[in-house]
Amino acid sequence: MRRRPLYPVLGMLLALCGCAGTGPTASLAGLDERPAVELTEVPFHPQQRYQCGPAALATMLGWSGADTSPETLADRLYIPARQGSLQPELMAQARQHGRLVYRIPAEPHALLDELQAGHPVLVLQNLGLRWWPVWHYAVVIGYEPERGELILRSGTIRRHRVRLATFLRTWKRGDSWGVVTLRPGQLPASAEPRRYLAAAFDLEASGFGAPAETAYRAGIERWPSYPGLRLALANRRLATAGPAAAVPILEQGIAAGAEDGALYNNLALLLAELERWDEAKIYARRAVRAGGPHLDEFRNTLDEICRRRPTGRCAPQEPLS
Amino acid sequence: MPFRTCFHRWLTAYVGALFLGCTLALPTAQAGMIGTQAIVAQEQLEAQRSELRDFLARDAVRAQLVAWGVDPIAAQQRVDSLSAQETELMLQRMRELPAGGDVLGAAVFVFLVLLVTDILGFTDIFPFVLGPDER
Repeated sequence: MRRRPLYPVLGMLLALCGCAGTGPTASLAGLDERPAVELTEVPFHPQQRYQCGPAALATMLGWSGADTSPETLADRLYIPARQGSLQPELMAQARQHGRLVYRIPAEPHALLDELQAGHPVLVLQNLGLRWWPVWHYAVVIGYEPERGELILRSGTIRRHRVRLATFLRTWKRGDSWGVVTLRPGQLPASAEPRRYLAAAFDLEASGFGAPAETAYRAGIERWPSYPGLRLALANRRLATAGPAAAVPILEQGIAAGAEDGALYNNLALLLAELERWDEAKIYARRAVRAGGPHLDEFRNTLDEICRRRPTGRCAPQEPLS
Repeated sequence: MPFRTCFHRWLTAYVGALFLGCTLALPTAQAGMIGTQAIVAQEQLEAQRSELRDFLARDAVRAQLVAWGVDPIAAQQRVDSLSAQETELMLQRMRELPAGGDVLGAAVFVFLVLLVTDILGFTDIFPFVLGPDER
């Protein structure tokens, strides 16, 4: 009840928000200094009525070497009642073609970084207004700084030129949603290790284990000391080839400077599996010392190893050194 | 029918063995191993928390919190104790606003700070937000 008086005030505040400047801001700085680029080899599929989603995705997948067409995709993607497709479904479909789907950061430099790395970007635009949205999927394939224009494969136009500032407004109205769809092993130019791991794991979880493994390995090469990718690859190797295949991946991670409780914990359990008890104990202790959200599991691991260890004393309660 | 009974028994055994075989062939996560799913979820939560922390660490936000008698450090700590679901909800609400770029409109700004303090339980303005005591 005491809340009610605030509603009109907030309503007014929100109404004002709509007018608050959402135009080009500081993030535009330096864009005119970026070199020109056009990915002419990206195919073009002119869209049928409303079907910009399937057409844009077919463009992306065709570029990455997957064999498909807008018609095939439309059956799985197009939702007649909505006269369109949804982003999660587009991403799922790209994964079903064994592609790594990575959402780029919501800022224009990331978009240009991808273009310069040779990766077209699938974007969602709101061509209308916030309160009267006109949703549209297109593929950004080029940039011409001297004219201040982006080049898109869009709708029925093969080389659709849009002023950068205009594009950025329509893109922002679509929540600045943009993805690259890459062959596993290729890295997005704007990749960040945590989100890259999530993208690669989505591929594994979609049933593409081997491509995901390739993606994990490429990521490890790029970020050798990032523990998440090592853990993911080791888990995958454990599932397909057993503990002896998984151990070196984690050991190399530690040698490269990865420090992480979960990594120590998993390594300890794998070493125990191989009956390398002394090392197992060392890593189990390190895991407990590292702590973190999985600390309870780490303690269990240490207890378990101490219990199963055939020789030597190993009281889990003895001080950690 | 001895033949049928026998056949059925064989069939049962065969299907059973097949099932057992499949079960064994599946990659079973060993007890205590931290799975990739858990790692990804944890990483995501960390990233979201740091986004919220960055928001709270903005000078303007800090100043506003102080002006309202909210200790910025306490607010930061409360962010770390939010569950994954609450963190997600909070970020979602923040992103729905047209608070583009580095320059926050004054109105957007007030709304955001109120939203944050609501979720953290310092204020209780928006009905859709459950404070820590109401959960």
